[in-house]
Amino acid sequence: MSLLAPLGLALAALTIPLVALYMLRSRRSGVEVSSIRLWEGEEEVVSSSVPWKRLELTAALLLQLLALALFALVLARPFFREATLLGPHTVLVVDTSGSMAQAGRIDAARTELVELVREASTDKVVSIVEAGPRARVLAAFSRDAGTLTEIASGIEAGGGASDLEGAIRLARGLATPDRPTTMLILSDGGVEGTVTEPVTDARHLRFDTVDDNLAITGFGTGTIGEGVARVFVEVASFSGSPVTASVAVTVDGLDVGTVVLELAPGESGRRLFPIDAGPGQVVEAALLGGPDGNPLDDTASLVLGGAARLVVATTGEGSPFLDALLAATPGVVRPVGTPPDIVVMDGGDASTIDRPTWVIRPETAPDGVDIMGRLDNPVITFTLPGEPLLEGLDLSTVAIAEADIVSAEGWIPIVAAGDVPLVLLGDVDGHRVVYFTFDPVRSNLPVQVTFPVLGARLIDWLAGSRIGAEAIADAGVPIVVAPPAGASTVITTPAGEMVELDDQVLEYARTEQPGIYEVLYLDPDGERVGGALATRRFVVAESAATPRDIAVTEPERVALGDATLIREWAPLMLGLLLVLVLVEWWVAFGRPRPWRRSATA
Amino acid sequence: MLLDAELRSRLDRLALRGKRRLRGVWGGSHRSVRLGESLDFADYRQYNQGDDFRRIDYNLWARLGVVLIRLYEAEDEMPLQVVVDNSASMGFGDKFPTAQRLAAMVAYLGLASGERVRLVTVPAPDRPSLQGPWARHVSAWPRLERWLERLEPVGGTDLPGAARLLAAPGAHRGPVVLISDLLAPGWDNAIDVIGAVGGGVVVQVLGPDELEPPLSGDLTLRDAETGEEVRVSMGQAVLERYRTRAAGFVADAARRAHRSGMDHVLVTARPGAIDQALRSMVGEGWVR
Repeated sequence: MSLLAPLGLALAALTIPLVALYMLRSRRSGVEVSSIRLWEGEEEVVSSSVPWKRLELTAALLLQLLALALFALVLARPFFREATLLGPHTVLVVDTSGSMAQAGRIDAARTELVELVREASTDKVVSIVEAGPRARVLAAFSRDAGTLTEIASGIEAGGGASDLEGAIRLARGLATPDRPTTMLILSDGGVEGTVTEPVTDARHLRFDTVDDNLAITGFGTGTIGEGVARVFVEVASFSGSPVTASVAVTVDGLDVGTVVLELAPGESGRRLFPIDAGPGQVVEAALLGGPDGNPLDDTASLVLGGAARLVVATTGEGSPFLDALLAATPGVVRPVGTPPDIVVMDGGDASTIDRPTWVIRPETAPDGVDIMGRLDNPVITFTLPGEPLLEGLDLSTVAIAEADIVSAEGWIPIVAAGDVPLVLLGDVDGHRVVYFTFDPVRSNLPVQVTFPVLGARLIDWLAGSRIGAEAIADAGVPIVVAPPAGASTVITTPAGEMVELDDQVLEYARTEQPGIYEVLYLDPDGERVGGALATRRFVVAESAATPRDIAVTEPERVALGDATLIREWAPLMLGLLLVLVLVEWWVAFGRPRPWRRSATA
Repeated sequence: MLLDAELRSRLDRLALRGKRRLRGVWGGSHRSVRLGESLDFADYRQYNQGDDFRRIDYNLWARLGVVLIRLYEAEDEMPLQVVVDNSASMGFGDKFPTAQRLAAMVAYLGLASGERVRLVTVPAPDRPSLQGPWARHVSAWPRLERWLERLEPVGGTDLPGAARLLAAPGAHRGPVVLISDLLAPGWDNAIDVIGAVGGGVVVQVLGPDELEPPLSGDLTLRDAETGEEVRVSMGQAVLERYRTRAAGFVADAARRAHRSGMDHVLVTARPGAIDQALRSMVGEGWVR
């Protein structure tokens, strides 16, 4: 035990006058009374005139000496050092991947995190980085233990993979030049290969509890006819003993069947069976028998057929390729006495746009587009990077006979030949428009494998949702939103929480929880003007992730600074002091006596 | 003003009553130890030469042949003396104001009942007794009140001296109301003497602090009259023993008074003390 203020012990010198007071004959205060006749029996014999008397060790003296000693100790501020993992600046990287939901790892990590951030102070600044599918900073350079505790308490595991490398890079970026920065990685190690290089000046707090686990590792559907679909379910066992897995399948909440699989340890089983369901219906699978090692991989869900039914009409010349494309696109029907949702305008006059339209090399361009001339044999040299509509499509072998040269200010060219746009995205009077400056018939695009995919994505985008391209994705992948002009976006998470996005926000990133996210576009009157469902799946690799160490190089002691925490004894001693004072008071005055019964009672 | 109009009005409706036969100087309404001229028959005795012929009972003479004369009770006035202790010990708290009001109440009651009343203070070694004039009518009340109001609680107490004064040859023999805390040596002998002289009432006035002293710590207690000191370390046990001793002292005073033919009334000097004393005196039969 050391002392923060040793001078406080000087108070112990008061022991001398205290003892002296007890050795002095008491100087009595004088009180005049009417008569001393009734006090005569109580007189104390005082036979000596010496002012001192022999010290008597009374209970009161002992208690007062003890209280004085305690008081002196309290003033001297005794303390002990407690080891702490916090340095002058510590970045806590918390893994919130799907594997952390396994066997209470995230609970243990959260508890550890809360314990750590409670020690935050002016000398021990703390930053928190969440290593989820997207690394993000939850707190930076904070010394407020209360706020940090609140943040730490809210951390949950998601269903996605962990971007540990990104989180570590982010943590490195938080390094402060004025005080040594160390990193604590609270993780189960993640999927093998997540962290490739040893992490310097870091410690890995490994959470590696393991429990038997069953996981739905595959879940998909396909349409085999009007109102009939096929469901594919795959279940993997991460248990040490043979298990029977039962999976209940529901359509829009109604039970449509149960899949039973006998699985050996480490084995996975799959089953395919038909269900009565159509496009737009929600199909869910859930393991029966309650939560196991990892509750997040016990359910899976998707939306059958992707988008809902769309009425698409063609005008102008048309072509067999377009007809084939529309026939092959899921959910698309041709108009039969109903106004179309989307128009495919092959040539003709496009000056009037009254609904979402796919314009193919029109004779008269829509507002905002001027036809300047014609280009022969354009070669595709540009595709818009990161454009979901083009993701995974190879257009390098597309050959085009001729295309119009257009000037389209405010339109987004996603495919171009040099400065000449070939495919543009735009908005006319609040309606989405896809503009092809070339006729696909005058190119080899229709015979490319990319054509039906591109066509389906364009139809999906025109239908008011650009999430179709990534409607089913891993947990943590953002949902891209594109509300119609003047509309707001409201997203309902799998947990039922409704989030309203700002007008400027074009994606929703908090998709760590697996399940179905409903995207709603609402006009200023609150009327639904569009929307879609997006599915986020539990990342299969996270179910199988076994705990492993992350290669780190431990920080030097200098970097950790005084990696101890000073705990003072003062509160305990003050409590003891108070008890002592109370005991002394009780000894002096307060000893209660039993009630006496009155003789006349 | 010691007695307000409302209290005097209440006292006017009451009367003082003697409990013993008296030997008064003047005729009055209380039975005397002597035989006299009242209408109440007392006894017969043999006729002696010089007796009043009018008292001879001729019927008995005719029937028995013996000359007997009738004797009648005498009725004297009651000389009431109110002795007030004005020593320094009475100056604590409300003791002396209470004693003044008690004395005033008894004196007024006597005057209102048509008795002769005198106020007397207890002498001390350094101070003679003050003796007020005898008064016999309510009209003398203002004078007695002023006399009482001028008293101050100072000096010591000589209760036996007061008793001797009352028992002196030639002094009026009648009931005595002694108003004192009795916290003085010789109080027991004084009660004996006063009881032998004419009886009466001992009104013992004590303060609440004397019955339940609010003292603590190591103290030197100094006697207000004698200046003597005692050193006492106050504690629960000491205070408990004091309370026992105080209760014993009051009980001793009551016992002594009763043995001497007097009544004892304990009055605690606090609001309502006058009513308490009046109720006690009615209970003892001194007031009706």
